[in-house]
Parts: sequence; structure tokens; C-alpha cells
Amino acid sequence: MSKGSAYVASRLPEIVGAEHVLTDIRVCAKYEVDGVRPSVAVRPGAAAEIAEILRFAAADQLAVIPMGGRTKLGIGMPPRQFDLALDLSRLNRVLAYDPRDLTCGVESGVLFADLDRQLAAERQFLPLAPAFADRATLGGIIAAGADSPLRYAYGSARDYLLGMEFITGDGVFSKSGGRVVKNVTGYDLHKLLIGSLGTLAVITRLNFRTFPLPPAQQTFLASFPTVPEALSFCAAIAKSPLQPKLVEALDRGTARLFAARGCTRTSGDAWSAVITAAGQQAVVERHARDLERMAGDMRASEFAPLNDSEQAALLGCITEFPRLILEAFPRAAIFRIAALPAAMPDLLRQISAALERQRLDQATLVRASGVVYVAMLPPTSRDAADENAPAKNDAAKNDAADKNDADENPDIRLVTAGREIMKVGVAGGWRPLIEWCPPSVKRELRAAGGSIWPPAGDEHFLAERLKKVFDPHGILAPGRFQGGV
Amino acid sequence: MDAKLVRGLEQLLGSAGVLAGANDLLLYEYDGSIDEARPDCVVFPRSTQDVVEIVRLANRYDVPIVGRGAGTGLSGGAIARRGGIVIAFSRMKRILEIDTVNQRAVVEPGVVNSDLTRAVEKDGLYFAPDPSSQKACTIGGNVSENSGGPHTLAYGVTSSHVTALQLVLPDARVVRVGSRAIETPGYDLTGLVIGSEGTFALVTEITVKLSRLPEKVGTLLAVFDTVEDATDTVADITSRGITPAACEMLDAWTLRAVEAFVHAGFPLDSAAVLLIEVEGVQEAAEAQSAEIAEVCRLHNAREVRRAADGPERELLWKGRKNAFGAVGRLSPSYYVMDGVIPRTKLTVTLRYIEDVGKRYSLQIGNVFHAGDGNLHPLILFDQRDPAQLDRAIAAAGEIMKFCVDMGGALTGEHGVGMEKSQLMPLMFSEADLDLMRQVRAVFNPEGRLNPDKVLPLVKGCGETRVNVLAVLSSGRP
Repeated sequence: MSKGSAYVASRLPEIVGAEHVLTDIRVCAKYEVDGVRPSVAVRPGAAAEIAEILRFAAADQLAVIPMGGRTKLGIGMPPRQFDLALDLSRLNRVLAYDPRDLTCGVESGVLFADLDRQLAAERQFLPLAPAFADRATLGGIIAAGADSPLRYAYGSARDYLLGMEFITGDGVFSKSGGRVVKNVTGYDLHKLLIGSLGTLAVITRLNFRTFPLPPAQQTFLASFPTVPEALSFCAAIAKSPLQPKLVEALDRGTARLFAARGCTRTSGDAWSAVITAAGQQAVVERHARDLERMAGDMRASEFAPLNDSEQAALLGCITEFPRLILEAFPRAAIFRIAALPAAMPDLLRQISAALERQRLDQATLVRASGVVYVAMLPPTSRDAADENAPAKNDAAKNDAADKNDADENPDIRLVTAGREIMKVGVAGGWRPLIEWCPPSVKRELRAAGGSIWPPAGDEHFLAERLKKVFDPHGILAPGRFQGGV
Repeated sequence: MDAKLVRGLEQLLGSAGVLAGANDLLLYEYDGSIDEARPDCVVFPRSTQDVVEIVRLANRYDVPIVGRGAGTGLSGGAIARRGGIVIAFSRMKRILEIDTVNQRAVVEPGVVNSDLTRAVEKDGLYFAPDPSSQKACTIGGNVSENSGGPHTLAYGVTSSHVTALQLVLPDARVVRVGSRAIETPGYDLTGLVIGSEGTFALVTEITVKLSRLPEKVGTLLAVFDTVEDATDTVADITSRGITPAACEMLDAWTLRAVEAFVHAGFPLDSAAVLLIEVEGVQEAAEAQSAEIAEVCRLHNAREVRRAADGPERELLWKGRKNAFGAVGRLSPSYYVMDGVIPRTKLTVTLRYIEDVGKRYSLQIGNVFHAGDGNLHPLILFDQRDPAQLDRAIAAAGEIMKFCVDMGGALTGEHGVGMEKSQLMPLMFSEADLDLMRQVRAVFNPEGRLNPDKVLPLVKGCGETRVNVLAVLSSGRP
């Protein structure tokens, strides 16, 4: 830090209270981002405190990363600089919720699980369905651009986030959008903050549209021997009058992972399509009839409705996909690639070929709306998982091992496959993102001139200019975003 | 305007591609709202490259540029407030690609909204945003205004249906934002540009999502003896977890005006009419129709009519779609407002509007999207009577402020444009507006593109009143 910890130690407690300034090295370790440890973590209790902290940080050129439940800090490139962790978990009030209005307004540190419980009491929900559901905060889910399996029916956050309040990098309060479900007043600045990884502003309040829970729901499983067959089934659903709530497809690798979590219905030796129908009972029954007929026509090897506990287990696994991968394979890398549904089979074939060349295992989850998650699994990582070691120690150990044994470095294979898949994706017209991977792999990628981000397009100068407008001193999560922003 | 600029434009586009005569320009000095300003010339590009060359010429001669679709906008977005060149996109109306498998289409900005639906409905698809002007308005205009429509209650506004844009920036640079895929890593520039009311960039190509036509549509029309019964019905439908595809309301005065005009069969002594539509698989439409009919009766509906698809549905919608036209027959001038309130505040807001009307001795009709709280109060007045005009100004201001005080918004779908730019401080602080100003400057640093729109003019003391006065003083619907 530029002015030394003595200054920080005196100034920050004045702003937030001494008990909310954490400087202990072991405590700060919990706030690490990609292995970079901040020298202080601050837990503000109000937006005004955040504004003051940011003004102070800007004057002192301290790099700040805002965070909530700290579940998705692995997304993004390693920070260029990181001095101050801004822990927003004390901003945990639900500020407004009128069930009859189907809208709510929350502070950014509200836990998704807490809000979900409040909404469920009124038979409503927010279709975010985030991974790390017990610890994730709403600000974090939005800032990380988290994706939801429910987007098939409900769209993404951009479609139901009504407005935001936030504080820009120079400590100025701002807002855009509003609290009502229809509104075109002013520029939609809040849309920029979705998926911005805290690089533009610190989110303090979010207003959402909520949705009624459907009266009935049922999940169906259809198994197919190959990818194209499973995806053809999904395509047939898209072309039918049916309006399911969720349509996903998963491969053997993912089925095995789910089975280890007690979700045994997905077949370990085939591709499975998972469909959830929701609505009035008659609507669910109609879906059951049509889906069974369609599965038969398309020669599914199995078609089955799931009972309630099977459904809960499977949907839970699908929602927690990245978490399950990372818990079982701490050194895995997970691609997130959005592509048109019809291009998906060919893309998946090319990806599998690249992974085979690098002798990497694969776990795949396809959202039929047009996103695929491919986890690249280093074969050795299964042993690492069995040791049940915390991810960070494991990473440190492997980093040490890397230096001793470069030939057997599993990162090299991840990097090579990652770059190849990136190339294949871009050639197909897509923009692959390596959403999750070990920090050492990110650094290897950077050393090789690559990134977890797809190459920025010719519109990138607009992103750079926007960054300067929102964060003129460049203190918010520097270097984490696309193109080094 | 410099004659050399006009000659330059003519060389580029041919003389048929440039209008600079006073009579021709008359047609381009207004849109669907009531503001007026005459451009110096109107040009009709045929390609993105034409647009680039036009922008270069405008820069060389230092004149403003304003994009224009069909001119159906309701807030002055396409009006050349500072003169200059209007770029009319009516010749860029090709549907460049239709991908029925992936439910995408790529269109030029001048494609008419309903023409796209017509082109894809044989494949069971349609373009979901449905502003009332959809038979005339262009998709480029929809993108600029982030247009809504009755059915956006269930399907979302334009931004939910666009995945990529090609832009010509005011420095003549061409950039693409977004992609065909459902999401694109990086900042959501597509989402930011949609709804920027033509102040960020000229949109020359649009990639849209196409939606699957529902298997079954159920349309209901319910007649009520009190406004409260109608608004309670709306609240009850929502609280039962039914999301209608559309939920529209006409109040007593409006429904009588409509009945006199189109004979939609509204009882003249009723207080309110709700028009509700549900869509989905057959079972969903049937179950929800039955439940909605029950809710209506529970709230004392005098009558509930149900229509199947086709002509019966058209008849029920006829009253709603002709409402503004019906009002136009009755009053020398009227002003269509566009405020939004939380849906739970419908009853109290309608009562307030009625009270405002009484206090100012003005007739105010209400026809609006009840399902999402998007009100369109119609204030009737005679612009020839200065006293009425003053009262109308004050009444409109009070209603707008009430909407914002209820936690609502200044505009739900018509846009800010030049009509409400001076009212923006009702919702946004100076810091909010300053950030918006800086973001606009990222795209449009010199303010050459569509100047003096959306954000308040910096030194605007007294101008709010002048602006509202200008809005109200003409009566063009």
C-alpha cells in the first residue's frame, strides 16, 4: 500500500468502526483473489461508508475488489493489484418486498438463500438459481454474471433486474433503472454492471421482478446413446408447443459426478436430457404425455418421470454444477460457451477431440437455450480430491510441484487444451470464456499470450472508455476483466 | 445548410436519396408526439456504408445527425431539435437472414415490426415486442426506444429480444456489439445501447430472437361497475400466480368514447373494462382462462366474455386498439401521458387522477397496461383556451410527480426524448444524470448525434414549464 498500513489502520476504523477493519494475515488470506492477498479487509455497514472508502482508496491508489459470499472470486483474470477487500456481507437488508407487486429491492450483501426463503413464504421466487446457493449474495451473483438453468423459461438477470444503486470508483452514488416492472426512463447503466466482476462500480442495491412459483412441477429424464441424439431431442422440444421451465443435457462425466452426490438416476453410460415442466397440473400432464411420445419417436434408450426426491437431487446438482466440479476436481477448468443450439453438436465434437488429444477427462452440461459448460478434468485431480485437502493448499502444493516436475505439470495440458478450445470456439463464431480455472493456469495462459477471456472484438475501445468513466482512478478490480480492463 | 453538403449527399445517394426542399421537410418535422423541429435535410441511405459516408460528411460540415424510422415515436426522439441531417432508414428494410432452427433473424433497421412477424409466422415464429404502432414502426426504432407493447407483460420489452447490433458511431466508426448467441462475455454494450433513444449510435443491423407462437390464446373481456373492482381483479390475478400475456384496462369515460366510435359492445353504464389474454399450451390457456373468469366474478364483474382465436379475439381487441382514435374524435387536443406505478398502487393512482381532473375541471381518460402498472392518462383540453392549457400543464405535472412519488417511473415505453428530458430530475440526482451524460459521451462525445434528448439541458431554469407547455400546446396524438 502506498501510504503504509499505519495510515490505513487509522483512517479505515474511523469510517467503518475498528471491529470491521481486518488486517490479521490469516483473516486476510480468506479474502485472497487468485492467490493475491489484500493487506486489509473492510466490512462497511452502509453505502455512505463504501463511498468514503472508495474516495480514500482512489486518493491513495489502493486497488479494491468488492465481494459478497466470496464464492465466485475465481472468475476473472488475477488482479494486477489488490490492496483492500470490500466485504459487503453486512449490507444484508431486504429493503422492499411487496408480494402483490411481484417486485423486491435488496442490499447487495443479502444472501440469495435468505431472500429465496422470504419469497417462498409468499409462493414466489427469483429465477437466478445460482451455484453456491447457500453462501452466494445477490450482488455477487449479478456482478459475476452467474447463469441460471431457469433461463430457458425466465430469461437472464438482464430481463428481470429492474434497477440498481451503485457507487462508482470515485466514490459517487449513482443509480439507473427503477423499481417498477416496466421503465425506459434514462440509460440502462445497470445492465453494464451485470457480469462486470466489480470492475465498474460497487453495487449497493438491486431491484428485481419476482415470479410466482408454479402450482405443480415435474422433471423428466430421457437418455440417448450420443450427443447429437440428446440435442436433437432438445431441439424437438424447442420446436414443439411445449413450454418447459428447464431443458438441459449432460454427458457421462457429469452423470458420474452427480451419481457421487446421490443423484443416481442419470445414466452413467449415455447422454441424458433433463426437462422440467411447470404450471397447472393439466399442463404438467400434457408435457408428460408429449415428452414421452417424442422420446419414443426419437428412440430414447430410457424415458422416466422422476419422483420428488429424485427431482430435487438432480435439479440441485444441475444448479450446483460448477461447485460440484471444483469440489471433486480442484484443478479443473470450466469453459462457458454460448452458441446457437444447432451449432452445439459440432462444437462439442471438436471440444472432445481437443480434450482427448490432451488426455483430459470431460464433464459437460448443455443448457438447451444455448450455453454449454465443459469442465476439463486433469486425471490426477481425482486423487487430489480424495485427499480432501482445501483448494488453496492444494493449489500451493501443485504450484510447488510444477516447479519440480515440469514434464508432468497437468496445467500444461489444461493450457494447451484451453487455447485449442478457445481457437475452435472463436473460429465457429463464438466467444468462449474459461469461467473457472486454477490461478496457475491463468498465469500460464497469460504467459502464452492468452487469457481466460475470448479475444476482445473491435468494440473493445468502448469497454475501455466506459471503465474510465466509472472508475477514473482504475482502482476497482484492475486487470480482472476482458482485455486487461 | 451549406449547399456543398447537400451536393455531397446527393453525389453519395443520388438526388432521389436526399430531400432538402421546404415542402418535403415539412413531413419530417414531427413524429407521433407533439414536438416539432425542421431538419435541414433528410437522407435515405441504402447500406451501412452509405450511413458511414453521411456521418463523415456531417462531421466535415459540423451539423447534427438524427436517426429516424417510421416517425411513430411518442416522445420526440426522431425530431431534429437542432436541425441538421435526418437519416431516414426507410430504404434499409431488408430482412437479411432468417434462421428458423435457432430462432434468430438479422434485419436492417427500417424493417417494419409486423413485417418481420409476417415473414416468419409460417414457421410458427414471431417477433414478440408489439407496440400499438407495430404495423408502421420499424425495428430500428424499437431498438432505439426499447419499445414495449401489451404483450411485453409476459415476454419482456425489446431488449429481451435482441442479441446483437451493428452500430455506426458519430465518428463514423462501425462496430458490432453482442453476438448471435444468447450471451456475450464482456460488458453488455448491446443492453446499454438498446433504449438509448438514438443518442449513442446509429443502428444499421439488428440480430433478434424469434419467439414460438403459442399453441393457444385465450382472450377475456370483463365488465365492471366500479374501478376498484377492476383494479382489485388485476391485483388478485397477479397474487394467484397467473401471469397473463396481456392485461389492459379502459375506464368509464374512455370505454364510452370507444363504444361511440367502434361499437365494441361495451355497456355504456359500466365503470371499467379489463381485456386479459393468456397464452401457452392448450391446457395452460384453458386453465388460466377459467381461473381468471372466476377471479373476475369474485370481484363482481357484471359480465365476462371469452373469445377463441381469430375474429372473436379481434373483436374484443378492437375497442382497445382504437381507443386513442376514439378520443381524438371528441377533443380538439389531448395529451397521451406514459407513467408507471407499482401495480399495487393502481386504485389509489386512478383515484388521484380523477381528483386532479375534478380540481382542474379537465376530462382525463385512462386506457392502459394494467398488468404492469403502465398508465396512459389522456388529458383532454382545448389548446385555443389559454386558461385550459394552463390547467392541463399543472394537472399533467401533478400526475407525473405522483407516479414518481409512488415509487414509479416517468416513462414505461414511450421514452424520454425531448418531451420529458426536463422532468428527469424528478427521478434522478444530478450525479446520476452526470454519469449518464459521461456514458453518452463514450459513444457520442461531441453530442452531434440526436442532440438535446433524454438528459435535461444543462442550464434549464424555467425550461421545464416551457417544455411541458410545448408538449401540451399541440394536440397531435
